[in-house]
Amino acid sequence: MSEFWLDMLVVVLRCVFSVAFVMNIVPLMIWGERKGAAYIQDRPGPNRAPIDLPNPADLPRLLSAALRGEPLDYKPVVSLRAAGLIHTLTDVVKLAFKEDITPDHVEKFYWFIAPVIAMSIALCTFAVVPFGDSFLGYNLQVSSLDGGLLFVLAMTSLGVYGIMLAGWASNNKFSLLGGLRASAQMVSYELAMGLSAVVVFLSAGSVSLAEITRQQGEALSIFGLVEIPALNWNVFSPFGLLAFILFWVAVFAETNRTPFDLPEGEAELVGGYHTEYSSFRFALFFMAEYANMIVAAAVTATMFFGGYNVPLFSGAFLRENADMVLAVLGLGAIPAFLGLAVVAWKRRGRPFYAAIPSDDPRRNEPAFFTAVWLGAAAAHGGLGVAGLMGGLTGLSALVGVEGLGADLLVFVLHVSSLGVKVLIGGWIFIWVRWTLPRMRYDQLMNLGWRYMLPIALVNVFCAAGWIILRHELFA
Amino acid sequence: MALPKPQKVLTLSESSYLVEVLKGMVLTMGHLIKNIFDQDRFRTIEYPDVRKPMTARYRGAHRLLLRPDGGLKCVACMCCPTVCPAKCINIVAGEAENDPAEKFPITFDIDMLRCIYCGFCVEACPKDAIRMDTKIYEINAYTRSDMVHSKAYMVNLMDGLKPEAGAAYRAEQGLAPDGYTNADSAPEGSPR
Amino acid sequence: MPKVKINDVEIEVPAGTNMIEAAKLAGFDIPHYCYHPHLSIAGNCRMCMCEAETPRGPVLDIACNMQAREGLAIRTESDKVKAVRKSVMEFLLVNHPLDCPICDQSGECRLQDYYMDHGQYDSRGIEAKVGKHKRQDIGDLIVLDAERCVQCSRCVRFGDEVTGTGDLRLMNRGDHTEIGMFPGTRLEHDYQGNLADICPVGALTNKDFRFERRVWYLRETDSVCTGCSTSCNTKVCHQEGEVFRTLPRRNDDVNRSWMCDPGRQCNSGVGSLDRILRPTVDGVAVPDAFETLAARIKAAGAGRTGFVMGSGASLEANWALLQVVKANCPGAKVFSVAGNNAGAIAKSDGLLMDADKNPNSAGVALLAAWFGGIGGAEDLRAADLSLLVVLEDDIITRLGGNPAEAIAYFGTHNNPTAELASIVIPVAHVVEMDATYVNRQERVQRVRRATNPQGEAVPAYQALEKLGAALGRAPGTSMPTATFSAMARAVPRMNGLDYKALGASGRLLAPTVQPVAPAAPVAEAK
Repeated sequence: MSEFWLDMLVVVLRCVFSVAFVMNIVPLMIWGERKGAAYIQDRPGPNRAPIDLPNPADLPRLLSAALRGEPLDYKPVVSLRAAGLIHTLTDVVKLAFKEDITPDHVEKFYWFIAPVIAMSIALCTFAVVPFGDSFLGYNLQVSSLDGGLLFVLAMTSLGVYGIMLAGWASNNKFSLLGGLRASAQMVSYELAMGLSAVVVFLSAGSVSLAEITRQQGEALSIFGLVEIPALNWNVFSPFGLLAFILFWVAVFAETNRTPFDLPEGEAELVGGYHTEYSSFRFALFFMAEYANMIVAAAVTATMFFGGYNVPLFSGAFLRENADMVLAVLGLGAIPAFLGLAVVAWKRRGRPFYAAIPSDDPRRNEPAFFTAVWLGAAAAHGGLGVAGLMGGLTGLSALVGVEGLGADLLVFVLHVSSLGVKVLIGGWIFIWVRWTLPRMRYDQLMNLGWRYMLPIALVNVFCAAGWIILRHELFA
Repeated sequence: MALPKPQKVLTLSESSYLVEVLKGMVLTMGHLIKNIFDQDRFRTIEYPDVRKPMTARYRGAHRLLLRPDGGLKCVACMCCPTVCPAKCINIVAGEAENDPAEKFPITFDIDMLRCIYCGFCVEACPKDAIRMDTKIYEINAYTRSDMVHSKAYMVNLMDGLKPEAGAAYRAEQGLAPDGYTNADSAPEGSPR
Repeated sequence: MPKVKINDVEIEVPAGTNMIEAAKLAGFDIPHYCYHPHLSIAGNCRMCMCEAETPRGPVLDIACNMQAREGLAIRTESDKVKAVRKSVMEFLLVNHPLDCPICDQSGECRLQDYYMDHGQYDSRGIEAKVGKHKRQDIGDLIVLDAERCVQCSRCVRFGDEVTGTGDLRLMNRGDHTEIGMFPGTRLEHDYQGNLADICPVGALTNKDFRFERRVWYLRETDSVCTGCSTSCNTKVCHQEGEVFRTLPRRNDDVNRSWMCDPGRQCNSGVGSLDRILRPTVDGVAVPDAFETLAARIKAAGAGRTGFVMGSGASLEANWALLQVVKANCPGAKVFSVAGNNAGAIAKSDGLLMDADKNPNSAGVALLAAWFGGIGGAEDLRAADLSLLVVLEDDIITRLGGNPAEAIAYFGTHNNPTAELASIVIPVAHVVEMDATYVNRQERVQRVRRATNPQGEAVPAYQALEKLGAALGRAPGTSMPTATFSAMARAVPRMNGLDYKALGASGRLLAPTVQPVAPAAPVAEAK
């Protein structure tokens, strides 16, 4: 009985983790989008919305005032702007409290569920993405479906329903055109996308994403001559690289990102499919776009870039040398954080700080961040020392669970590895958006049907031939 | 529908997009990296905190000047509403009983929503009673009626309702503006 | 008539014409301050100096005192003349305070105008100006500022020659000369406003108009004073529908250049609170009272309905009234009642003011004679009427009582008749319509529309057109030109008058009754 509840607990934890993984990267992506756009365009970008931190000495007074429901008035010590990260927070507050307008002319039911579909489909897709090899014998994947990749393709096809329904139910020609464009685009690029995925099936011999990822954690053998550990990524095979490029381009179209963001082409379609949406319904579409990007980046990383695998270091290796890895990472992080602390401290000399009054709480921000980075350096130093002293083995022994410490470390490293790959993928989305102009619709269709589809088809056959050849030659 | 034909025959590398796309991305990334390491490249002025220095001839909000005896310099000669191309100045003239100036503006309203800041009123004024040298450009209000600057508002512009503007003005000029007298020092009974 | 030569332009002018007027006829403008066509020649401003050809060679002299004689040749634009004018301007401005910003004259000030053409521009003055008395209250209508004065003495001559009161005088000597009143006296006569008009600078200004509006904002419309039967020609100065002042307009046959002070007030009631703004029936404002009035006229029957012509109303309105009666109520009685409205002071002097305070008494008499059978006040008192339609005249005050069971009043302002009337219909004020009036000289003069009618008022002839339409037959008087043409055809004494040709100074009626021209034979259809 207790084993059943433990299983249930694990299922819930997996679900919570996967949703949290996606939803926590969304604000980061939005921040990256804004700040990245700004820096690419030679401007500072968002940097104003602050969180005013009170003097710690005031906290008891403020707490009691808050409990009595009185207004909180205090003189802030630090005004935390965090390079514009707070803007994302204020955006959420704004969108949540804005008036939610339902136009009279919309098809109410479909109009209401469209953003829900968009958001939930984006989150569901992540269910089959493994975010670690195993933790104390439990799979780190919400659902270890055998047909994982097929599920991903199915879900991305469903995702367009949210947009189509929004466009149609808005009862507005601009929204409808946006919805139509989205569906036509999805149909056109799904073929290339599916065919690129076939290359991955073929090389893995499986459509389970866990299996595909596991295989990519093996050593990469270059013509049987050299073996590079834990780098057997699909992207490093000749046809895998082409498949990756096709898949990645198709992903842009599927997520409606520039240069393929015609469904919301604001120059000609007002706001596209979300013209009629406001407040939190709009926020759902907004977040769904970023969630889709994150999930697409995660799926791409899983299919072509080894998923959660840390390059050059297999899970087994990391487990065996857990304490040493922790020591190296912990101590190695110290110079990085010290560097950040120096950078933060040097920001005090910027002209902005010369222009604001001497009692402005924003003046203390560099010092605050210096302290934060120094604290982070100290914490990592502590972890490094713990690793040197065999802390992870000791932890396992202390709790009495075999391999707990090593599994904990490997879990963190695998999730971080996947996270870094997702962020890189997300950054490419942003980077491309602020580099390329939007394509014309006929160019979009030309590219999809006349170039990508034939190339993808040829690629599948070539990849199949290559795999047979490789078996014959090197197996 | 006839589609526009490409003007130029593209080479293979151009028509495959990939090379050109990568070139563009290298360019944008170059900007990004340069900007991360040298934030002084930005031309952006962090406005409420850092302010662009206004030129000496900048035309900001209007102010009305006072005579040394504290009375209003304006004698309601109607030159400014006459030249005003936006017809934003509304003056009602009245007779000042105990003032050698005889005539004074009972109301002197400038509708700042209509004003186009051309400065003709300053040029036309024979009494040097109105100036636009305050360098106040944050002219805003919550209601349309508050956007109509009244005589009392414009007389006290520097010290009364916009003390920060007055401080900035004097700090920049190094002295009290010419003809400016504190509103509180005006003798009783002088026309306002 | 002698031939004179002005700047080489030869022109024939009546003997005795002074050269300012002669130059005007020749198309040249000679600047002047002290000369006024209706005052004697003083010759003390020296501004009209021009060069006369004499056997001794060119001689500078003042044009105002130079009378036309055969062979006289003058130059008004020679370099010498210009130099003199510049010097005169400089001299006149030596003690001028230059308070144009507070001066009501600015905009119509001769000093300003001539300074633009003949000014020194670079002042040579280093001495302090001589201060004089400013802002002197010298009469009910006039403020005197002696500093602004150029000592042209027009006001002095006006007092001596026109009103005969001789109240203003030039005092002191040299640059201390100033205009003033004798101690303890004030202007008492009824023509004070003219002092402000004739003053070429801002020394004498009008209290009523003081600081009201800058003159360059005002638009001027030719009109006629409706204060009495003299009907002085006026200019109505108005801006954006508001009348600010009424000035006399030169008409040598009627009022020369003058106007009485009460006459200046005749348009002050245009926007007043007691204007009738909307039709009322039994004290209740209604959108349209004409149907009700027509129904009541029909109910009363032609025999018991009376109509009163208005000596305050225009010729067109009275004509329209008669046409309404003729077409719709053939049996109805028409009356005309002499007298003045409530509030009018029947003052008369030898100059312009007349005891008859109605502007169109002669016009009513003209039309009454043409229509025939018009009853007077006694007839009206004696008549047994159930409904009396009154056009503008305050019939209650004139009769001293109510002659009928009910009154329908077409009027501009509230008065005893309007208060008693069961139906009140607003009509346009004189400055709000195009119409004609006939003054006591039997001169037909035009008024022109300066502003839009207040409230729902329309010109009386249009109101009567609507009444006629409601009764069944409209008199066709909605347009003043067509109405006047109809009158000119029908009324013998008006034969030959043309609305457009009345011009600025009006036309006299034909003195005697002329035979009606036979109708043109109708061309037979082929």
